[in-house]
Amino acid sequence: MVSITFIEPSGTPRTVEATPGTSLMEAATTNSVAGIIAECGGNCACGTCRVFISGAAKALVAEPGDMEAAMLEFLDDAGADLRLSCQVEVTEAMEGLEVTVSPEQR
Amino acid sequence: MTHYEEIDMFNDMSLIEDPYPYYEHLRAQGPAVYLPQHNVVAVTGYREGLPLFSNPEIFSAANAVTGPFPPLPFTPEGDDITEQLAAHREELSHSGLIMTEDPPQHAKTKSLLMGMITPIRLKENETFMWELADQLIDEFIERGSFEAIMDYGQPYATLVIADLLGVPEEDHKNFRMLRSNLPGQVGGEKEAVRDPLEQIGLQFYGYIEERRQNPRDDVLGKMAQVKYRDGTTPSVIDVVKTATFMFGAGQHTTVLLLASALRILGEDPELQAQLRADRSLIPKFIEEVLRLQSPVKGDYRLVTKTTKIGDLEVKAGTTVMLLLAAMNRDPAVFEDPHSIRLDRTNAGEQVAFGRGVHACAGSPLARGEAKVSLERLFDRLADIRINEAAHGPAGQRRFEYEPTYTLRGLKELHLDFTRA
Repeated sequence: MVSITFIEPSGTPRTVEATPGTSLMEAATTNSVAGIIAECGGNCACGTCRVFISGAAKALVAEPGDMEAAMLEFLDDAGADLRLSCQVEVTEAMEGLEVTVSPEQR
Repeated sequence: MTHYEEIDMFNDMSLIEDPYPYYEHLRAQGPAVYLPQHNVVAVTGYREGLPLFSNPEIFSAANAVTGPFPPLPFTPEGDDITEQLAAHREELSHSGLIMTEDPPQHAKTKSLLMGMITPIRLKENETFMWELADQLIDEFIERGSFEAIMDYGQPYATLVIADLLGVPEEDHKNFRMLRSNLPGQVGGEKEAVRDPLEQIGLQFYGYIEERRQNPRDDVLGKMAQVKYRDGTTPSVIDVVKTATFMFGAGQHTTVLLLASALRILGEDPELQAQLRADRSLIPKFIEEVLRLQSPVKGDYRLVTKTTKIGDLEVKAGTTVMLLLAAMNRDPAVFEDPHSIRLDRTNAGEQVAFGRGVHACAGSPLARGEAKVSLERLFDRLADIRINEAAHGPAGQRRFEYEPTYTLRGLKELHLDFTRA
């Protein structure tokens, strides 16, 4: 298991245990992390599992694929750090990763 | 006088106008309860219902659209009906539609659908939404009154989908008034009737067939070339089915959402003034309307393996009815659940569009349509009021709702306004 910390929209950090091979979104919804809605269940279709991954942490996650990039471009709060957590696969290297849940999910 | 204990919500007209007190009656008995008829468990609990959307192994979408009607074509036996269901699947109502498919077939169909609702198409489509709103408002602006469903919502929702799918503008007139039938009628024959969607299907068959032979670089041309994720090419019929499905899924629901929003605004001048003054509140308002007046009343699942929902043991073969508006009014999740509160921080967690793989693919479209419509109606109509001749004076309003157990929404909404 890999420890991931989600900073919830209220500012509260929530550290959860994630299984490598699953997505950050699954780790968040399994543990009821506030702010992650994940309406479409991981289909890269709704844009309601947005997180910011910034600084050194970015090096630990793979670049967005085409579908995710297309969705990100469409979102109002899109910036270089925004990701759809359903498209980010958890790896062993992510131990201690900190991501911030976007307050905007619509 | 209500007899909620024995009431059959699939056949009782008394629940059509205002189903919400009945939902609270159910909630008082537990977050999930067996109804007296039709082998149905009604779920009103948000936290108890949510996991059901993401567990197709136990909760099959086979009966997602109309739930217990028509009844299962087999008698469930034992604590695992997976094989029985597989053997009879095609005999079930709405079978072969994306909504009733389970993985892995569902993912295949969904890849076609998502190829039609891409972020870039949605963005282009929004430009059309603004223009269309104005065209339709132009048609009634002189009158000082309009009927929100047939004068505005219906043609609006239908033509927005037509544009999204790239229907050439000269053909829009053929689509404008095509209105599919509503599933799950209460008080009538629960049989399939010939659906006007067939006409839409024929039209699309023509478009796709023609473009498969003579490729063109328009939206329909791209649709004709769309492939499944595994690289195989779908049949023309499968493409047409997916396109047609979008009209069926996207017209009524969006219109009902818009009508509910306008009824609430017509009844509440203060709220209307607040939204007019601060347009950034419109999306929050739409979210609250979705939560409180969820256009889809119930989403259904068939229990394939005996299981538990909350503390309730549920037998294989049971129909589960997720009452979306009841889940959305669960006081354990939504404070002051029956009120519109624009400052709610978790309004977006409402489940009007469902969740999981079957979550509504058109939700960004519906939200966009509602937002653009309210923006333009606010711009061009100085006030929006309920028409008293049609609906009675304040305090004694009469509204008629669609007589179906599947959808929640007004039959007609007559509104008056002063031109801006």
